[in-house]
Amino acid sequence: MSMIEVRELVKCYPLAETPTETFRAVDGINLTIERGEIFGILGPNGAGKTTTLEMIEGLVDIDAGEVFVDGLDVRVDPYVVKKIIGVHLQENEYFDYLSLKELLELFGGLYESKGPGPLELLELVDLSEKANAKPPNLSGGQQQRFSIACALVNTPTVLFLDEPTTGLDPQAKHNLWALVRRLNSEGMTIVLTTHNMDEAEELCHRIAIMDHGRIAAQGQPTELIFEHAPEPGETPKHGTLEDVFLALTGHGLRD
Amino acid sequence: MSYRPALNLARVFFKMFMRDRQAIFFSLFFPVIFLGVLGFVNGGDSDPVEVSIANHSNSTLAQKFVDNLAANPAFDVVQGDEPTLKSQLLDGEGTMVLVIPENFQDTDQITELVVFVDASQVRLLGLIMPTVEKALVEIERDLRNTEPMFRIKVEDVQARSQRYIDFLLPGILAFTLMQISIAGSGFNIVEYRRKGILKRLFVTPIRPRDFIAAICIARLSWCLIQLTFLLLAALFVLDVLVLGSFVELYLIIVLGTIIFLCIGFCVGSLAKTQQSVGAIGNVVIFPQVFVSGVFFPIQSMPEWLQPVAQALPLSFVVDCMRGVANEGLSLLQMVPDVIGVLVWLALSFAIATKLFVWKEVVK
Repeated sequence: MSMIEVRELVKCYPLAETPTETFRAVDGINLTIERGEIFGILGPNGAGKTTTLEMIEGLVDIDAGEVFVDGLDVRVDPYVVKKIIGVHLQENEYFDYLSLKELLELFGGLYESKGPGPLELLELVDLSEKANAKPPNLSGGQQQRFSIACALVNTPTVLFLDEPTTGLDPQAKHNLWALVRRLNSEGMTIVLTTHNMDEAEELCHRIAIMDHGRIAAQGQPTELIFEHAPEPGETPKHGTLEDVFLALTGHGLRD
Repeated sequence: MSYRPALNLARVFFKMFMRDRQAIFFSLFFPVIFLGVLGFVNGGDSDPVEVSIANHSNSTLAQKFVDNLAANPAFDVVQGDEPTLKSQLLDGEGTMVLVIPENFQDTDQITELVVFVDASQVRLLGLIMPTVEKALVEIERDLRNTEPMFRIKVEDVQARSQRYIDFLLPGILAFTLMQISIAGSGFNIVEYRRKGILKRLFVTPIRPRDFIAAICIARLSWCLIQLTFLLLAALFVLDVLVLGSFVELYLIIVLGTIIFLCIGFCVGSLAKTQQSVGAIGNVVIFPQVFVSGVFFPIQSMPEWLQPVAQALPLSFVVDCMRGVANEGLSLLQMVPDVIGVLVWLALSFAIATKLFVWKEVVK
């Protein structure tokens, strides 16, 4: 069985101007994510990527459709699902007055089974020397790595990363990709959202491109490039994933 | 189920409260200062009334009269010459000027003492004049060698003296625990939501009820420490009397804290921003401070307000604490109040868990 099965998933939100009407943030999507895969969900801002992830994670109520994680129905057993997943959120703020080590102890303590210790986790994400630092004193890359360390306290079977490299410089980005690959090589299934095409092309085994709450295309990056990217003039070489993205979602600005 | 996650979280919350030095300072020292100031202002003897005396007589009798007045703790006697004292009185200094004539010695005829008063201070005359007259009567008896025929002895039927500060202490304890609890839970939850910490917590398997339990346990321990500090200060520094059992007093403190923590969670769940949590918190806190008998007995309030006031959670808590501390009652002798506390406990807990829907809270 696949690691994650998403069937006809729907999430409606009331419109800001006319609260009686709703719009479909996620509009009947289907996804199958295999074990051991790095799966990327791409899309412009507001495409429904984060909402989709948060429904799979059990953070947001599912309006219609089904989600299975490792064979468990998220609507039926949300707390069992939460035991086996690790989540990196876009927001990265923590309690005041606690050091990285103490925060990892805290998050570790929220699970009934004991996972790796804080120092082991900090070493894994290359933050050993920051054990007694407070999160606000970390650089952007360090914060993202720390957030991933927090998501690993329960040695999850599936790791969700919501825009893990947004705002990082190239060095920090490559460093994070290396970390993701390392975790994946140990057998962890990884689902990430991004609007960074390089990241998707470089890192993901398969991707889904989302727009307006629907999936516009799904497959291996190279497949999608062959299928959708316009041939750049005379050159026989095909385009990039960015061309695919723009061809499928249009050139208009999104906010 | 396992209690490990909730207890773990409670320990961490407690650690965080301990590291918040500023909050410790305000929550520990503010109530002590509050109790001290209110206790002294209202509880001690009222301020002595300033009486200015222009003594024109140099007889020992006149001096004795002055000493007699000065010995009365209700008066603060100032001596000076008549014109100066009168002009001071005109300037609003002092309350009255008593003029002792030169012939104060003469006992054969009536000696007239003149009192100049500032009309705005005239309400004090009722207080002062009987004492002045009494001092004169005593001197007269002295001179005529007569003994007083009557003496009034005032005895408290409760056979022990209770000061305002004794009455105040349970009120201040209840008031402090309400403040800490409502602000503690309500404010925290809004702050954690704003920072996205709640969302981070709820991607782990912790359940909302365990999260609520964790904050409650941590706040409760914290509150007990603070109230113990306050109680010790009251007992040993301000010499306040607690008649009943401390075990029962603490039992009520624990129940009261849980009630207001739950109410704090309701406030935190309703409020969307840091500002609104303060505003909604005040709506809940202020009416209770004034009508729940923290500073004055509910019986002294308007008739129509009393049933409403009596039904507030703080009223039941204050009544129970006051019953134990001031009247030495056991909780079994205050069944209606204890039931009131328990009903509020059940009610606030039910509403808090109902309102605290984390799927809405995490936004």
